[in-house]
Amino acid sequence: MSDAVDVDELRTWLEDGYASSVRTAYLILGNRPDAEDAVQESFLRAWKFRDSLVTGASFKPWLYRVVVNTCNSKLRKEIPHRTRRRPDDDLTDVVTLEDPIGRVSLSNDVMTALKDLPTHLRIVIVLRYYADLSERDIAAVIGRQPGTVKSRLNEARSRLAVHPALQSEGPSPINARKERHS
Amino acid sequence: MTEFDEEKLKQALREAADGFTITAGATERILDEALESGDADEPSRIRSLVERTGRMRSTLLAVAACVVVLAVAVPLLNSEVTPKVRSALRTVHGESLPTGAKSANPNAAVLPESEAQILGLTGTSFIAGTSNKDDQGVTLTSSAAKSGKSSTNGSAEASDSSLRVEEVGTIFLTVGSTRFESTLTQLTDFATTDGGFVASTESHMGTKATHMYSTGSIVLEVPVHNFTMLVDQVRHAGVATSVMTSANDVTGQYIDLQARISALQLSRAQYLKIMSRTNSIGGILSIQDQLNSIQSQIEQLQASLGLLNSETTYATLTVSMSVAGHQVNPPLHPATGVDKAWHESLHGFAAGFEWLVRIAGPLLFALLVLAALLLLGRLTWRATERRRSRMS
Repeated sequence: MSDAVDVDELRTWLEDGYASSVRTAYLILGNRPDAEDAVQESFLRAWKFRDSLVTGASFKPWLYRVVVNTCNSKLRKEIPHRTRRRPDDDLTDVVTLEDPIGRVSLSNDVMTALKDLPTHLRIVIVLRYYADLSERDIAAVIGRQPGTVKSRLNEARSRLAVHPALQSEGPSPINARKERHS
Repeated sequence: MTEFDEEKLKQALREAADGFTITAGATERILDEALESGDADEPSRIRSLVERTGRMRSTLLAVAACVVVLAVAVPLLNSEVTPKVRSALRTVHGESLPTGAKSANPNAAVLPESEAQILGLTGTSFIAGTSNKDDQGVTLTSSAAKSGKSSTNGSAEASDSSLRVEEVGTIFLTVGSTRFESTLTQLTDFATTDGGFVASTESHMGTKATHMYSTGSIVLEVPVHNFTMLVDQVRHAGVATSVMTSANDVTGQYIDLQARISALQLSRAQYLKIMSRTNSIGGILSIQDQLNSIQSQIEQLQASLGLLNSETTYATLTVSMSVAGHQVNPPLHPATGVDKAWHESLHGFAAGFEWLVRIAGPLLFALLVLAALLLLGRLTWRATERRRSRMS
């Protein structure tokens, strides 16, 4: 009876958070198979240590915390020691057929900029602008003070701001491409 | 000026991340694996620990800082002033001891007798004659030549013809305001009665109404065998706040001088004999030169011997007097500007070096403790990190 309840709980978790977790992990790791591995591992660990989730606490930051820690672990221990890169899609290889107005190019530009960020800055940017977490939640996820999160976000923003694709003024590459298409 | 476009970033991230479809059946695999792996382990409290990582680090640092401060401060405070030294300082700064007494002889340290024995200092000892018995102390001077011999013994030995001991002493005397002049006269009488004389006198007299005060110093010379008696008499002429004496055995120096003079005299006699047999003028002149040189040396040595003889025949006692409640200037060896600066510089250097040596021990201990704490903190941190990564 107890097991059935727990599995139902896990199923709920998966339904609620698996897809977003995989996509978040993908943005952090830059590799889809690695992201799926990391998220699978994260869910199993989260379920194994589900009692450590404080009653009444928000599930989402907690799950993201586990995911981010697993991604960090992969980035630190597995990926650098790999002799051959996985042949699957990379952050800069986001290509789909239905992209007539150059959105994929924008994504590729942004992804390149994101990939150039250090891991700790990439994580806060992804959590803030993709997972849409507040600074306080991000602080809980990465286990740092909110001030640290704010500082990292500022640093990441200033680095990304120099990228032409993310500048609000002037002709951006995507605009130029759009003009050419029209 | 360009600005960062957050919306564009959000859009790009969404398009990049949502651009692929999630692998089908992944969630089912996770569910299967979760069922296979069994029930959850024991509830872990690591998460709460991990959440307090920053606080833990701060606490550890604070504890380490406290330990370091305590490790440095406590030994320093303990070693700064020991109780025994405190009692010695009390004697030095006693109510009846004039400040001039301290500066008059910087090499002299006033210590209790037991303290002197502990420190293994040698020399003569006298009791500072204050009305309070607790304030009585022993004055040891660095110029004392004979270890373990008191001034009394020195005087007795000086009277022996085989021993030559020169004795000097300083007494700080406080007298009543009406007795200043009479005491001065009394001291002169002591010296003459004991077969000695007054070498020098210096006194400044005034009244309290004009804010002047009466001070003086008198240098008495008495035969060595009467020195102890003179000291005793002077001590009772007023309130002796400090008594310093030293005896220096110069027997060896005395005998050496005598021997050298005898040798030179023999040599002179030989040269005279040779000269009486020489006929050539050149030879006589050459011998004459030698004789002149020898004669000069003999006279120098005889002068030194005479001085030594005088010093060992007469003991010198300097008495500094002041009216009760007023200070007295140090009478001995007033330091000149450069001399004073040089000595202060030396004292400063010695004090700095002493401080460095003193602080080195506690600092080393503190560093070791800090290193151990840091190591412990590092190990704890790594263990926590490991458990956290295991959990997540």
